[in-house]
Amino acid sequence: MAMTGTPLWGMLQRAIDVWALLGGVVLVVLVLINVWAVAGEFFGIGFAGDVELTEMGVAAAAFAFLPYCQLHRQNVRADLFTAATGPRIRRVLDSFASAVALGFAAILLWRMFFGLIDQRTFGYSSTILQVPTWWVFIPVLISLFLLVVAALMTLLADVAGDA
Amino acid sequence: MEPIALGATGLGALIALIILRMPIAYAMILVGAIGTTMLSGSNVLLAQLKTLAYGQFSIYDLSVVPMFILMGSLAVKTGLSQDLFRAANAWLGWMRGGTAMASIAACAGFGAVCGSSLATASTMGKVALPELRRYNYSPALATGSVAAGGVLGILIPPSVVLVIYAIIVEANVVTMFMAALIPGILAVILFLLTIAIYVRFAPDAGPAKGAEDSAEFWAATRGMVPVLVVFGIVIGGIYAGLYTPTPAAAIGVFIVFVFGIVKGHLSIYNTQESLRETASTTGMIFLILLGAELLKIFMSRAGVPQFAAEMAVNSGLTPMMVLLLLLLALILLGCLMDSLSMILLVLPFFWPVLVAMNGGDFQPAEGSGFGMSTEHLKIWFGILALVVVELGLITPPVGMNVFVISALAKDVPMSTTFRGVAPFFASEIVRVGILLAFPALTLGLPLLLQG
Repeated sequence: MAMTGTPLWGMLQRAIDVWALLGGVVLVVLVLINVWAVAGEFFGIGFAGDVELTEMGVAAAAFAFLPYCQLHRQNVRADLFTAATGPRIRRVLDSFASAVALGFAAILLWRMFFGLIDQRTFGYSSTILQVPTWWVFIPVLISLFLLVVAALMTLLADVAGDA
Repeated sequence: MEPIALGATGLGALIALIILRMPIAYAMILVGAIGTTMLSGSNVLLAQLKTLAYGQFSIYDLSVVPMFILMGSLAVKTGLSQDLFRAANAWLGWMRGGTAMASIAACAGFGAVCGSSLATASTMGKVALPELRRYNYSPALATGSVAAGGVLGILIPPSVVLVIYAIIVEANVVTMFMAALIPGILAVILFLLTIAIYVRFAPDAGPAKGAEDSAEFWAATRGMVPVLVVFGIVIGGIYAGLYTPTPAAAIGVFIVFVFGIVKGHLSIYNTQESLRETASTTGMIFLILLGAELLKIFMSRAGVPQFAAEMAVNSGLTPMMVLLLLLLALILLGCLMDSLSMILLVLPFFWPVLVAMNGGDFQPAEGSGFGMSTEHLKIWFGILALVVVELGLITPPVGMNVFVISALAKDVPMSTTFRGVAPFFASEIVRVGILLAFPALTLGLPLLLQG
């Protein structure tokens, strides 16, 4: 059952990769905003709201990194104790871990959807620029959806023994 | 089940899950979520999950972490490490053991732009190992000094783990950066002394390569300039109070990026790879942070930290003995886990114990268990803890720095590298002793700069 080679698999992999790179681009934009905020102060063209944009942007970027981390198994684990066991046992254990990731991603997606609705209903927004917080929740929900996809992919790969 | 028994069961389950290959973040998430549900019902948790993750990820102090990671990742690709090593070798290489000393110094220098020990060890290994071989250094000394040098990355600011520590115990990040400098420099000095002593007893292990002519000496020295500029602007600016760590890190990223472009080392491909590495590391760290938060909610509802603190106070041990026990526990745990997970996992238990031993959160120096205010204890313990958690990187069975170096020096058996690292491990224990005996080394700089 080699699923990892199918076109759909490749497409999802690329989507997750591009999404993580977009998160990286957000980070780069934040770098520029922060440089502007400091340098601008010296020249009298300060940047208002750099702190709140940094908070929102880093959160959005970090969520965008999660699917990439899951798909490429970057989440640190202690594999010392199971190094000597056979591949079959490791596969069972890894499948369980992927299933936990899948369950968690799905629950968080569900809960944070209601989080978005709360944020909208109560009209929370940032202090200076008045950016509505629920705007940030939209890319976050996309990230969590991709995290569900990524966890499903690692789970399938573990079960099939493709990993 | 009694809450405290449930908490203890949860800890057992957590350890079992970690042993069974579950990623540490998910082990924490699973135990935290199930435990909280069992204690307080599912509604509390489900309501919290609406904003808990966003709340954690958007903490302002945390925003410096991905920026430092990006800066380090770019620095690895810009060729800064070659320049640093060449400069250090021009300064130190004429001595016996000098090229090994140069590796240590270059690691320290690279640690000033890169907060990751593994990245420091691997990039310096690539540069320094071939040179050490060229000058006929013994394999043990060569691999040992590079693997040990990587450890310096954690204490020489910027350090990611230091930021995480500050966030968990609610310390000031800037103060922690100040406190880390002198202990970091102390490590460099002790490592250099270790090599000097080593080659006294084993002169063949590290032959001197002779002095450079003055043209090469000055050319090599100029290679240090970019790192000095980055360190001066980033850390100097933070120390001077010109800006907070996040803008400082952003400026650092910017300078390293511009430098990489000018040097022609940063292609589009390299930049993309840097972003991917940043995504991996940042995603991993943030997920562990979220897991640690869920676990903390469970544990504090179960009363485990309070219970541990009471036990310590009633144990009849002196505060110093408790501190030593905790540090020992960190060293042992460090043999099994990475430093960041460990800090996030154990500090919520260890820190309340120390606070209780000292006399409470707002205890002034007078009448306190450790002879210092709890505010100072927070700084002092943080530095001690960081020094010892990083020792796990160079001790068996999972000395990650040693693994990295072994992968680079394929003809050197890993046991030789572990043997080569042993003297540096001893010097680290001496450093812990010095820092324990003289808290002023840690607290002096923050007091001087912040009053």
